[in-house]
Amino acid sequence: MSDKNKNFRDLKRLLKLKQHEIPPPGYFHHLSGDVIARIQAGDSGRGHSFLEQIQADSPFAAALLQLFVSRPGIVGAFTTSVCLLLLLGVLFADRSDSGVAISGSGLFTDSSASASASASVDSPTLVASADTLAPPDSGITVSTNPISSLQPVHTLFGSPQNPLFQDVSFVPARQ
Amino acid sequence: MSEPTTVPDPNAPAGQLEGDLVRRARRGDLVAYDELVKRYQERIYATIYHMTSNHEDANDLAQEAFIKAYSALKSFKGGSSFYTWLYRIAINKTINFLKQRRNKHHISLNDLDFNAEHDPDLVSLISEKTPHRDINLSELQQKLNEALLKLSEPHRMVVVLHDVQGVSHDEIAEIVGCNVGTVRSRLFYARQQLQGFLADYIKS
Repeated sequence: MSDKNKNFRDLKRLLKLKQHEIPPPGYFHHLSGDVIARIQAGDSGRGHSFLEQIQADSPFAAALLQLFVSRPGIVGAFTTSVCLLLLLGVLFADRSDSGVAISGSGLFTDSSASASASASVDSPTLVASADTLAPPDSGITVSTNPISSLQPVHTLFGSPQNPLFQDVSFVPARQ
Repeated sequence: MSEPTTVPDPNAPAGQLEGDLVRRARRGDLVAYDELVKRYQERIYATIYHMTSNHEDANDLAQEAFIKAYSALKSFKGGSSFYTWLYRIAINKTINFLKQRRNKHHISLNDLDFNAEHDPDLVSLISEKTPHRDINLSELQQKLNEALLKLSEPHRMVVVLHDVQGVSHDEIAEIVGCNVGTVRSRLFYARQQLQGFLADYIKS
């Protein structure tokens, strides 16, 4: 017999000591009575742990949790997938916003270019700037976001108009 | 409201009697459940005590295990024996309790019975094997429990169930919820660990 088996035999003999440990005299005479008394009193025991609550409420969730506990790799893969999905969602949303912003600024650029290039006496175009609309000390915040502030407004009576750009016409005073 | 209790047939096999007790207990018959508690209280308490090495904690946990089992009786489908199902509840409660304790063990050991000093295995172990021949059984008991508490809960569980309480590998696998191979490997590892912790007391 190997030394290890021999030692396990001695270990088992030592573990027999545990079988000789006994609770205080009369303990088992009243244990069942205490249990029944607590059941009748409506005692549900100490506060259930989170795991116990899940096991009681949803066996399926408990089984799923048990799967995660027993297979930590699955938890890692699940978490990584969720993070990737979130990242993709953010990137996709960001790209959508950029696409709209580019088309908005294009409109702004076109209108400002046409406004500055085609300014004439006959049909001067008042070009509004953030400073004229809201002087620096006025406390008024003017957004320069081309989407929110310079998006052309469609009207029923003509071509889309930009609310910050108004065509002004005046007739020189007669002399 | 419980139905009128039926007088159990003393000549009926124990298995049928247990089934009858379980059915009655599920209908709210506390007399039947009291009988079930009395049947299994020693084994359930012993398992919990050997896991915690603390009588007060074992008492609390044993009571709570039985209370929880009563409230969960409706979920007992009969797929396993009532004893296995009850054991599983007690073990889960104990392991959850120990995890919350996070290795802060407070030992409160039970006394040894009179037969311990006359157990031939223990007597020979002390007189022949241990180098510390003047050690007495109480000190050995303390060292043994300290060594058990150094094991992780899953390893301690298989040692307690198999080597202390004599539960078979198959039953342990069913109770703990793993396969027999896992039980055997845990048991081997746990014994190796204990052997190391208790080398001074079992080495020849």
